[in-house]
Amino acid sequence: MRKLRTAGAAAATAAALALTVAACSSDEGSGDTGTSTQGATTIDVWLMRDSISDDFQKEFVAGFEKAHPDVTVDVQVQEWDGIGQKIISALASDDAPDVIEVGNTQVAQYGASGGLADLTDKVSDLGGSSWIPGLAEPGNIDGKQYGIPYYAANRVVLYNKDLFTKAGITTPPKTRDEWLKDTKALDTGGNQGIYLAGQNWYTYAGFLWDEGGDLATNDGDTWKGGLDTPAAAAAMDFYGTLQKLGKGPQDADEQHPPQIDVFATGKVAQMIATPGAATQVTAANAAMADKIGFFPIPGKTADQPGAVFTGGSDLVIPTAAAHPDQAYTFIKELTGDEWQKKLAVAMSYVPNKTTLAGVLADDPGAAAMAVGAANGHATPNSPNWAAVEANNPVKNYMTQVLTGADPAAAGTTASDAITKTLNASS
Amino acid sequence: MGGAVSPASHDPLLPEGRSPRTAPTTGAGAGTPAPVRRTRANPWPYVLVAPAVVAIGLVLGYPVVRNVVMSFQDYGLRELIRGGASFVGLDNYAELLTDGTFWGVVVRTLAFTAIDVVLIMVLSTLVALMINALGRVLRFGVMAGLVVVWATPIIAATTIWQWLFQSERGVVNATLVALGLDRFDGYSWLAHGPAAFAMLVLLIVWQSVPFAALTLYAGLTTVPHELFEAARIDGASGFRLFRSVTFPILRPLFGLITSLEVIWVFKAFAQIWAVTQGGPDDATTTLPVYAYQVAQSLHRYGLSGAISVVTVVMLTLLLLVYFRQTLRQEGDR
Amino acid sequence: MTTDTVPTFVAGPAGPGAATTAGRRRRRLRPGRVALGAAAVVTILASVFPVYWMVRTALEPTRDLQAGSVTPWPRALTLDHFRTALAADGFWAFWRNSLFVTLGSVLVALVVAALAAFAVARLRWRGRGVFVLVVFAAQMAPWEALLIPMYIVVRDVGMLDRLVTLLVIYTVVTLPFTILTIRGFLDAIPVELEEAARVDGCSRATAFRRIVFPLLAPGLLSTSLFGFITAWNEFAFANTLLIKNQDSRTLPVWLSSFNNVFGTDWGATMAASTLFMLPVLLVFVVLQNRVTGGLTAGAVKG
Repeated sequence: MRKLRTAGAAAATAAALALTVAACSSDEGSGDTGTSTQGATTIDVWLMRDSISDDFQKEFVAGFEKAHPDVTVDVQVQEWDGIGQKIISALASDDAPDVIEVGNTQVAQYGASGGLADLTDKVSDLGGSSWIPGLAEPGNIDGKQYGIPYYAANRVVLYNKDLFTKAGITTPPKTRDEWLKDTKALDTGGNQGIYLAGQNWYTYAGFLWDEGGDLATNDGDTWKGGLDTPAAAAAMDFYGTLQKLGKGPQDADEQHPPQIDVFATGKVAQMIATPGAATQVTAANAAMADKIGFFPIPGKTADQPGAVFTGGSDLVIPTAAAHPDQAYTFIKELTGDEWQKKLAVAMSYVPNKTTLAGVLADDPGAAAMAVGAANGHATPNSPNWAAVEANNPVKNYMTQVLTGADPAAAGTTASDAITKTLNASS
Repeated sequence: MGGAVSPASHDPLLPEGRSPRTAPTTGAGAGTPAPVRRTRANPWPYVLVAPAVVAIGLVLGYPVVRNVVMSFQDYGLRELIRGGASFVGLDNYAELLTDGTFWGVVVRTLAFTAIDVVLIMVLSTLVALMINALGRVLRFGVMAGLVVVWATPIIAATTIWQWLFQSERGVVNATLVALGLDRFDGYSWLAHGPAAFAMLVLLIVWQSVPFAALTLYAGLTTVPHELFEAARIDGASGFRLFRSVTFPILRPLFGLITSLEVIWVFKAFAQIWAVTQGGPDDATTTLPVYAYQVAQSLHRYGLSGAISVVTVVMLTLLLLVYFRQTLRQEGDR
Repeated sequence: MTTDTVPTFVAGPAGPGAATTAGRRRRRLRPGRVALGAAAVVTILASVFPVYWMVRTALEPTRDLQAGSVTPWPRALTLDHFRTALAADGFWAFWRNSLFVTLGSVLVALVVAALAAFAVARLRWRGRGVFVLVVFAAQMAPWEALLIPMYIVVRDVGMLDRLVTLLVIYTVVTLPFTILTIRGFLDAIPVELEEAARVDGCSRATAFRRIVFPLLAPGLLSTSLFGFITAWNEFAFANTLLIKNQDSRTLPVWLSSFNNVFGTDWGATMAASTLFMLPVLLVFVVLQNRVTGGLTAGAVKG
């Protein structure tokens, strides 16, 4: 008996030894385990396509790695297509990336699911009191801060200065009427007055807010879709009029095909995008470098700019992240004042703190954006909103109406779909 | 069923019996009929099927069971990420069966399947009969054409379809406009429910006809020539010839192909997902697409599981006739 | 799943007398013949046109593609689109991934299925009937309905984003069909042939190698054709199970998102589609001949 027990203990010791050896060798092999202090830790970071330029990414990563020699950064650029599914898959796996950039309308969903690290006690360390609300609020669910504000942007009109000059337009339009008149004048020959994809729903949402409507409204605890209202029909009517002054597809969004490429051909007088798109247009066609101008989306009257969706991204750390500490260091650096200033200038973004707004004073794109930002809005604040976007009834509604369907009927269908999804228990 | 007794002609150890003369356990000497043996003691058959059984059990059986279990759970995003799903009895099924959207999807799926299968079967039969009647050159041409279609990967076909039906530069719109149908100038097929539906029907029919037609043609060639002659002497021709001679002989083959097409169309996912993702406005959302949407956009995995179960049940009911026939044939073996 | 493509297995019994009927009849009905010929031409056009249009688009310069009008044939020829497609990010990696899962699953399925098929066709054992029924049922399995449970199961065992997961799934998808087909081919080879050979003095192994295997080989080939196409084509599982790791995507998933890769460059998209289709067409051309030849050769009964 005694002998047996000894043998058992010996076996257990041997097994433990084997495990230790295995652990050591894997440590050496990959240099990828979080607890290891010798050798660099690699953190995986997911950033979205086109959210920052290649140059800025390289500059930041080089700077970060220099300041933190023990951390190597592996940035993977993700496509917007199917990103929700991808992030969920990552959150649900045991090897999630360490940092993920998440669109501000999507954070609530992931936060509510329990897949994100709660960063509430880091807020003051990050200077959270001056974060811009459009990014901080969506990152906060039930009093817990999951998303750290990264950058914000809202849409403006990018225009081709050459084509404007050719059409004799010297000052950009200030009201919708002027805008339509100018666009009509620009829509001649081989040129398009405006390239507006039929499913550019953030732009449509702006028009809808201009009419006093909303995508969905909340009375107490139930949601109701807002596309069956006269405001929605009026907004769609304007959208349709504008859309027809160019060759934007009625059945696709601005990514299919990428409107930046279309605008870069130089035959499109205007498109609606964030000012940062100018960099990409120039990257696609260097000849466009000095030809891009910006103006705020015109409102119904000259005294108020058009309403815009406050877009942007937050950074999050998955609970399944292997290196949460290094991930936090990364986030702190990227959302800190120094890099935020550089990012704002490089990409024409609104920085994540109100105190930094001054850095954009000299940037024409940012100036136009700032005018619009005064009339900024958000999508319905519900964890289920991301599910609405995933199978977007708004896009469908737009295409239906643009191709001749009755706005009231299409609006009712879309509203019902929104109502149903927002009220579903998740 | 063979029972426990092995017929003399079947040697259970053929592949292993590389040198049967030195392997007396295999019993049969060259030329002598094998003695009657009890196979119960013979482990070889079980060893041989073991890998297949394990693979099918783990990769097909387990997910099926898991799916059924999940369909009784409240399994959402939180459960996916944190685990710990709770059982909710028949809630998912109750929700599903009282939901108008679901029934709309069911009806659409049945209509989609019916339209496709009827078109496929009619066209394939016509093509098969045509091949059978053609001379050598044209027959080769038609068969080569069908093989090319057959060899076109599904996702290649979906990209081709999207290009053919492009609103601005697509050849379909260009042709229709050239034929005088001006309303197709810049017509967006993906924006109109019925148009998108029709486009997918065309795609599926185009992809499915080759298999059905070539198989039916292979069947036709087995019909004894004399039968046709006899029927022709009796004055039968054309459609009557088909109805009274060809069809009865090939009935099992027609049954098999129809069943296969029903399965394939009913569960078609890749084509629909790659071209329309179920849109516009759910006009092309069939059951597999719906189950996928419910899971991947609404994150209601339990409900999606219930949809899958219902899909399988419906498909089984649809094919019960064919299953029974197969079982009977299997019993005869 | 992608089972639209099944080799001419049902043509197995069609072998005998295949060439004897149609060709020999001579009918003099002129209008009938003309109508028939016309129908044949229409059929050929309807089948081949989409594929032709793909190749045509892939060969026409962008400048012509963007010119407002559409012509039946290209106005000029170029290989630029193929260059664009080949140079696209990761194209070769996706190609390798597809080849790996396809060949891997075909080989594994053939081996596993051949063993089982042999047990079913040549041996008598208790449970054989049940096994065959299970295989039949598995062949009918609506795999698309299992996307989500499969996703969850695969995630639970930590096998998401791995090509080998796809390889295993494709193997099992094709397995039932492969078992049944090989069993059918084995059934069609009369045991008397082996016995006759053994009467002639062959050992059992020689009889199998010389008589059974040559007759079975075309069956194995045609079955592998099915597996090849299923795995090469498969989209739904590849799209659901390879999510994070974009480098391990397969060609169908990559091609389905051509909008991200090529934007509105339809020339490049069609070139990529052509490149994607080419291997299948090649396999078809090579194997189809051998299969039909094998079937005719296999018609020993007739």
